[in-house]
Amino acid sequence: MNIDWSWIGDHTDDLTTLTLSHLQAALTAVLLGVLISLPLAVLAHRIRPLRGFLLGLSNVLFTIPSIAIFVLLLPVSGLTRTTTVIGLTVYTLVVLLRNTVEGLDSVPVKVKEAAKAMGTRPLRTLLTVELPLALPVIMAGVRIATVMSISLVSVATYIGDGGLGQLFTDGFQRNFPTPVIVGVVLTLLLAVAADALLVALQYVLTPWRRRRA
Amino acid sequence: MNLPTNRRALLGGLLAAASVPALAACSGGITSLEGQGTASGGGGSSEGGLTIGTANFTENQVLGYLYAAVLKAAGVEVTVRPNLGTREILIPALKGGDIDLLPEYQGALLHYVAPKAKATEEGEMQNALAMALPAGLQVLPYGKAEDSDAFVVTRETARKYGLVSLADLRRQNGRLVIGAAPEVKKREVGAVGLKSVYGVEFKEFKSLDSSGPLVKGALKKGDVDVANLFTTDTDIQANDWVVLTDPKNLIPGQHVVPLIADRKADSTVRKALARLGNALTTAQLTELNRQVDKDKKDPEDVANAYAERRGLLK
Amino acid sequence: MYELLENLGAWLAGGEQWSGSDGIATRLAEHLQYSLLATLIAAAIGLPLGLLIGHTGKGAFVAINLASFGRALPTVGLVVLVFLAGGLSMLPVYVALVALAVPAIVTNTYAGMTAVDPDVKDAARGQGMRGHQVLRQVELPLALPLIMTGLRLALIQVVATATIAAYVSFGGLGRYVFDGLAQRDLVQVLGGAVLVAVVAVALDLVLSGLQRLLFRHRTA
Repeated sequence: MNIDWSWIGDHTDDLTTLTLSHLQAALTAVLLGVLISLPLAVLAHRIRPLRGFLLGLSNVLFTIPSIAIFVLLLPVSGLTRTTTVIGLTVYTLVVLLRNTVEGLDSVPVKVKEAAKAMGTRPLRTLLTVELPLALPVIMAGVRIATVMSISLVSVATYIGDGGLGQLFTDGFQRNFPTPVIVGVVLTLLLAVAADALLVALQYVLTPWRRRRA
Repeated sequence: MNLPTNRRALLGGLLAAASVPALAACSGGITSLEGQGTASGGGGSSEGGLTIGTANFTENQVLGYLYAAVLKAAGVEVTVRPNLGTREILIPALKGGDIDLLPEYQGALLHYVAPKAKATEEGEMQNALAMALPAGLQVLPYGKAEDSDAFVVTRETARKYGLVSLADLRRQNGRLVIGAAPEVKKREVGAVGLKSVYGVEFKEFKSLDSSGPLVKGALKKGDVDVANLFTTDTDIQANDWVVLTDPKNLIPGQHVVPLIADRKADSTVRKALARLGNALTTAQLTELNRQVDKDKKDPEDVANAYAERRGLLK
Repeated sequence: MYELLENLGAWLAGGEQWSGSDGIATRLAEHLQYSLLATLIAAAIGLPLGLLIGHTGKGAFVAINLASFGRALPTVGLVVLVFLAGGLSMLPVYVALVALAVPAIVTNTYAGMTAVDPDVKDAARGQGMRGHQVLRQVELPLALPLIMTGLRLALIQVVATATIAAYVSFGGLGRYVFDGLAQRDLVQVLGGAVLVAVVAVALDLVLSGLQRLLFRHRTA
């Protein structure tokens, strides 16, 4: 399996476009996933019966093949980026919801009681005490969701999107390994880079953990 | 559903659709170059650009980029979305506004919109298409180049079962395996028509791809006995495969024909595509496919080079 | 939407869908075969690896990072790559599925092993147990819940992803998804997706039952 280096040189522009489009799809999905999962997780954390239902539902969603979700969205959002993003968001929810709930669960009861005793209102407690303390677990979820999304974007190539995934179908149809290898490598690099950025972000967001360490 | 990621094209499409009535008034008389234009000649406008969608096989992408090349030269802003899937996926997308223009094939398209259609001659098919297409879509004049579906067997299989035409397959009913793209199982020019017209029944239908590596690999290996390929596929000759003849005309003529949404069909687009259609021959199209599949050139580059060479960009 | 569900009922109930070489029964069996075999191979690779790293504490950093690297591997790309390298067989599918399952198994096995209280391990050693005895009689039973979690997670992912086999001409329930996409037959796609989900949930229940059985045995 020879790599055609000149092909890579001739296609740097296309590869850049595909990489950016790939990243945009994955990051939008994670961002939406965080925005949706946060309130849901707070609800699930507070209301016990809802917790079982929401976590169970997200687990079932996880068992549905991603390609099927994309195809089933076609009547709703057609062959658009929207379809890709909705499909990916569904998958991020599975990880994000579970980790956010677990993160909130991990906050010691004593801390919450202390906040209450000091007369802090519930919303304030949530924002200034619970969420910051839950952040490490939540961020672990965000990291998994990001890496997973970056890997999953390429499935949307079957509905004409898919960022770097287009290199896979192209190479497949033409019996041409170079684009496929490049696509796999770039996907991995994207995942590693995004993960490193998130680790850095977490470092910045949780200064108290640094001091302790 | 207005996410920030939504394609700008979608918004553009909506705006264009909304402005169609106003523009229709000014674009008035349509210049039908060949006199074979379709009846449904409502005015549209390509101002604001159009999006070309192509199906999931090489030739369709080559055609899409050829359309793009001549349209760009005519001053139309064009986006190409390659490899979107099958006709079954593309036509709803065309209706829905995700794409505006699509390289199609006369007979196959006709069978898709009107499965019972009897027309086989080019002119008849063009008229039948004009009648049968859903509101909002129209075909432009068809081009010279043709690419038909072909049912192909290896030389060895042909000899073993004495196969010359599709009718001969019937003697082996229940014994042979056919390989084709999944959609061919449900298509008239496919498993459905082979049964109703020739009485052919296969032992098994194997879902593979459109004249791609899977179906050709399976035919080579002997995993399938009959393969559905395109007549413009150079591998047929290269492997000395036998194209079964079609005495009952199940497979209609398949001239390349642009399928376009009314909202984008203006005289600039018509003229540019008609000029391309009159220039591009089957042999040339076959050669362009070969350059993409075998020489691993980009369909876009191949298309641009051809258009340039033929003086279609002036 | 309601119409889609109604048609789904008809599709699932359709007698001809169930039998024959492309009937649901065959596709179901194929899907089970792909998923179980892939998970088994992944377990054969991932379990010893995770146990070794957890037991010795060596190479953890490399292994965990490799695992997250593995999670980022795009399945479609991997399938196509192995197909182009080695031709058409089930190999590309198995490679991709195993690559998907190994990280979950390794990381959870390792996590289970590190969660074992060091004092307990010390106590076992103090009683004169050898390294492999500590591993088998102390660490492994204590790490089992997390190990099982890893296996279950891997299996669910593999079942959902085994649909990819249909992309390279093979069977399994993915056949309905890919054929349905090509034919724009959403009922077929939904039918395939529902069956995949049912298989995944059913296998998960089997594994969790197995897990409970193993524990009862341990505590008794």
